Amino acid sequence: MSAPTSRPSTSGKRLSGVKEILIEGLLVATAGAVFAFAANWLACNLTRHASMPMGLELTRNYFPAGGSTNATPKITTASTNIQSNLEAQLRAEGLHLADSNLVARLFHDPRVQQDLVVFIDARDNEEFQQGHIPGAYLFNHYHPETYLPTVWPACRTAQQIVVYCNGGNCDESILAARLLRDLPQIGGEKLFVYAGGITEWATNGWPVELGERKSGNMREPGKAAPGK
Amino acid sequence: MNAPQWKQTALSAFSVFARWFLGGIFIYMGLSKAMHPEAFLKLVRQYEIVTTPFLLNSIAAALPWFEVFCGLLLVFGVAVRGSALMLVAMLVPFTYVVFKRALAISSAQAIAFCAVKFDCGCGSGEVLICHKLVENSLLILLAAALLFNRSSKLCARFSLATASSPDAGLD
Repeated sequence: MSAPTSRPSTSGKRLSGVKEILIEGLLVATAGAVFAFAANWLACNLTRHASMPMGLELTRNYFPAGGSTNATPKITTASTNIQSNLEAQLRAEGLHLADSNLVARLFHDPRVQQDLVVFIDARDNEEFQQGHIPGAYLFNHYHPETYLPTVWPACRTAQQIVVYCNGGNCDESILAARLLRDLPQIGGEKLFVYAGGITEWATNGWPVELGERKSGNMREPGKAAPGK
Repeated sequence: MNAPQWKQTALSAFSVFARWFLGGIFIYMGLSKAMHPEAFLKLVRQYEIVTTPFLLNSIAAALPWFEVFCGLLLVFGVAVRGSALMLVAMLVPFTYVVFKRALAISSAQAIAFCAVKFDCGCGSGEVLICHKLVENSLLILLAAALLFNRSSKLCARFSLATASSPDAGLD
């Protein structure tokens, strides 16, 4: 594999060292860019229908702004600030913030049995399988085409919808709620964002379902919170 | 073995080690990001470098595979100095934005700079930022060393401009 060890020819020395490196860098950059976009395109198209699709669609807006603000997690100084800022932001977007008391009440509401109160897990499939609120629908908003056929009919007929992700800095719940809000026959008035997310839920010792939706496979109380 | 030969052998061994080490790291880091493109997209977004969806998506989609590409070139010893230049070109601005974000977190949360811990999008999850900066500085130094390297030992094609080794007697 080793190259010949003879001295470079005169023609090979024409380019100065620096210039040669720069030109080579440019060639690597060009070839690398072609390789990278081709790999992304292939990954995107070959795994389109997989449970964990790879690749990104370049022209799609994965983070639609909501109303006058967007949901980029900001570095803030105190949790009370975060809470009140989030509440104001959601209100401005026509959504509601749900605390753990409200979410617990809704979870025990008999309407859950008729799917009139639904829980939406806005994380990815891997995280969902590791533990979710029992009966929650998986809705990875990065791949709405995969999940909306199931989630949209449930949300359309529901009277209240609770969307959650991991909690903390995660904003998947807000992004998913925005997407659902903008669908026909849903609207923001029945959409609640549970900011505490699955982390707070599990920390409270409330039931966590493992695997698929309605698998009936429950995590033992007191086990560590799922999610990243 | 006389002194210059010994030195050349050591330099050749170092250059092979540096190429394989850097190449391996970039292949691993690139693939771990490419396997979870949305997670990486979110991490790129947190730096607020670009706001246009197309640019943001392009960076998040291409960067992991670009890292894999450069890693492969280094492992196989193709266009070594050009690839090393690309690594430096990626690492320097990336280290700068990580540093800037860590500073912002440190001042906002009133914690010591080295206590700042976040997922910087490096492919290794949440890390203590001082560790990350030291690690990146070492990677930059290693890549920069390859820029000045003239050993073509175990290289498929050390330079694209010349078919032969840029320096004799190093193999």
